[in-house]
Amino acid sequence: MTRLLVALMAGLAWASSAHAQGPRVEPPSTGLPPSVPAESTTPDLIVDLSRARVSITSAFHGESILMFGMFDPPGEVVVVVVGPEARETVLRKQRFLGLWLNTGRQSFDHVPAYYAIAASQPLQRLLARGAGGEILSLEDRMSMVKPVGPRAATELAQFRGGLVEVKRREGLYPAAIGQVTVQAGRLFRVDLPFPSRLPEGVYEVKAYLLREGKIVAAVSRPLPVGKVGFSAQLAGWADHEGALYGLGAIVMALFAGWLGGAIMRRL
Amino acid sequence: MEIYLPIAEQSMNVFVLLGLGAAAGLLAGMFGVGGGFLATPLLIFVGIPPAVAVASQANQVIANSVSSLQVHWRRGNVDLRMGLVLLLGGMFGSSAGVWLFTYLKRIGQIDFVIAVLYVVMLSTIGLLMLTESLSTYVKRRRNPESPRGKLHTHYLVHRLPLKLRFYKSKLYISALLPVGLGFLIGILSAILGVGGGFVLVPAMIYLLGMPTAVVIGTSNFQILFVAANVTFLQATTNGTVDVVLALLLILGGVVGAPIGSRLAAKLPGVVLRGLMSVLILAVAAELLIELLRTPSSPFSLGPREVSP
Repeated sequence: MTRLLVALMAGLAWASSAHAQGPRVEPPSTGLPPSVPAESTTPDLIVDLSRARVSITSAFHGESILMFGMFDPPGEVVVVVVGPEARETVLRKQRFLGLWLNTGRQSFDHVPAYYAIAASQPLQRLLARGAGGEILSLEDRMSMVKPVGPRAATELAQFRGGLVEVKRREGLYPAAIGQVTVQAGRLFRVDLPFPSRLPEGVYEVKAYLLREGKIVAAVSRPLPVGKVGFSAQLAGWADHEGALYGLGAIVMALFAGWLGGAIMRRL
Repeated sequence: MEIYLPIAEQSMNVFVLLGLGAAAGLLAGMFGVGGGFLATPLLIFVGIPPAVAVASQANQVIANSVSSLQVHWRRGNVDLRMGLVLLLGGMFGSSAGVWLFTYLKRIGQIDFVIAVLYVVMLSTIGLLMLTESLSTYVKRRRNPESPRGKLHTHYLVHRLPLKLRFYKSKLYISALLPVGLGFLIGILSAILGVGGGFVLVPAMIYLLGMPTAVVIGTSNFQILFVAANVTFLQATTNGTVDVVLALLLILGGVVGAPIGSRLAAKLPGVVLRGLMSVLILAVAAELLIELLRTPSSPFSLGPREVSP
């Protein structure tokens, strides 16, 4: 009984220490300790992010986060970053009596707030080989967002194109994401750009190791994006305590105006 | 130097915002009207979402009117009775305005309505001011001592019921008139994020026939409370009041206002009004061009919602 308990505790300790090492994808148990050089094709991929979260402070004006890691060659690395999903409404302007105004709208469900994809090889070539259907190019991902309500297919395609266009413009679907660079055959790194106007939520950064067009390892890391400090405090009040926030804003302006007036008269 | 605006949810250059506040303050100091009608379109030009620009500007208007009201109150230039009657309409008007604003925002037309209202209002005021200052300028050159006209002309509106005596303004007019005026200004305030002094002041002089001395103080009294109402309602219904943005505008205004009043003391009134009308017309033209020009992209996004 005691021996069983000790064994159990040792097992637990090993599991938690393995967990603490980070999301290391262990090879399917081959009976060999991990330190043994991989003579068989043991898929292995270790990643980390330069920051554990994107903190939107008062000084925030966009940020670049570095994802880096190591893989067992040969192979190619693909990194996908997906923001939280929400319903987005696309508005379309048309000329009406000479003036441009919004005349059409179309909502889509489950639209990722952010979507970026990078690869160590030209992506088209990697994805053409299959990649298990799990890695989606932006075009593939966007063809999956569900329109709300019925509409003709050609119209829907236009609105979907508009959605991508606006997201591109805001830097939320970065087209020119830096490609994954590989050094010494096994180290890789990629810069993930985040613009200043960034929706909050938990993002997912996923790295894949591909061999011959097949995913042999995948590691996922959550990346929380949120306001912190003063910004978070204010936004929280504005969201949850609208009345209090409104009164606070009035008092702030009254005081600032009174003080400003008092100073002005002295000058 | 960039600062993140927590409600607008974007970063912006601090000096751009301070500069905008200073420009609005300059106008406030020069003409005695809060420069909201210029600051709001300029905020939209630099990329602040119109809903946030309008609501935060209303917050800034409070500061502007309180510092101006201090001075006028001390000098006894506030017709309290008139102010309260105006305010009665103003409270209803601004509440209706915020409701309208929320509705327009939901159907995706708020940006368009803001732009059109600004174009109509700014071009009307700009043209009126320009013609007035030009004709005054021409008249003065011909005849420096122009004779003074009647205190005010009597129109049909003076026959409306519910007449009230306004001692300080030396008026005996129907209360419906200032209530209605307050109501309209209130709507304008809520939708455009302005105090409305630039409409209220001429209306008080020409429509109500109030003496010029008490006009600015009394209008500031009404504007202060209407702006506070708009700020409160925008914060509770739309959550679009950005206090960081408002504070930067206020700080800029504190610097700009004394420069404005010093400039005003140096330049003759006609020249000032002429300059201001040109400025107003320029902003109106820019907004009109934006409405007429084919946009670089016809698409934009409405607010994000949680998928059901």
